[in-house]
Amino acid sequence: MNEYRWADLGPGLGAEFSAAITPAMMTAFADMSGDLNPLHIMDGFAAERGFQGRVVYGLLTSALYSRLVGMHLPGKWGVLHGIDVEFKAPAYVGDLLTVSGTVQFLNEAYRRIEIKARIVNQSGAVISKANIRAGLHDA
Amino acid sequence: MDSASIIEDLQPILADILDNPDLRLSSESNASNVEGWDSLAHINFVVAIEKLYRVKFALGELQDLKNVGDMAALIQKKVGA
Repeated sequence: MNEYRWADLGPGLGAEFSAAITPAMMTAFADMSGDLNPLHIMDGFAAERGFQGRVVYGLLTSALYSRLVGMHLPGKWGVLHGIDVEFKAPAYVGDLLTVSGTVQFLNEAYRRIEIKARIVNQSGAVISKANIRAGLHDA
Repeated sequence: MDSASIIEDLQPILADILDNPDLRLSSESNASNVEGWDSLAHINFVVAIEKLYRVKFALGELQDLKNVGDMAALIQKKVGA
C-alpha cells in the first residue's frame, strides 16, 4: 500500500496495477448486489446477444477504482469522494485488467485531488474511463 | 466583472452539483439556507470555482466566507477585477 501524503502529490503523479477477473469475483458480486441479470450469470444468454460470454458487472470492474485510490493513489491516507465512470467495452471472466490513474488537479484548501483513470484489458481495449475525486486525511 | 455576474456564473454550477435546476442564488445564499449544500457539495463547488476562474483559494480565505456574496467578492479580488 502506498502512503502518499499531501506534500508528495502533484499533477502527473500516477499509479498502475493489474487484476484478473475470476468466477469467484462474479459470484461474490452477484451475492452482494443481488443483480442476477442473466447477462452476468449465463454464458449462453450473453452469447445469444453477441457477447463473448457473460459480461462482467460494470461496477465490479469499477471497484478497482476504489482499490486505485485506497491502495495506490494516494493509498493509506486517501478517501474516495466520488467517481464518474463511463463504460466503453465489456469485460469478461478471465480478463486481466490494468488500472491506471494520474493526478490531474489538486485543491489545496480542502486537500482534494482529481485523478483521471482508466481500465484496459489484456488486448489494450479500454473497458472504462473515470474521473475520480479523492480527499487526503493525512493532517 | 461585477458581483451580480459572478453569482450568475455560479448559479448553474451549484445547481448542477446539488442536482437542483430550479436553484436561484443570491448574495445571501449559503449552506444554511440552500437545501443539500453539505460539506462534500461545498468542496465540489469550490473546486469548480477554482477551475472556472483559474484561481486558488487558501483554507483561511474560505473559512471567512459567510455567503455567496462574500465568495463573489473574493473571486473579484482574486481575478483582479
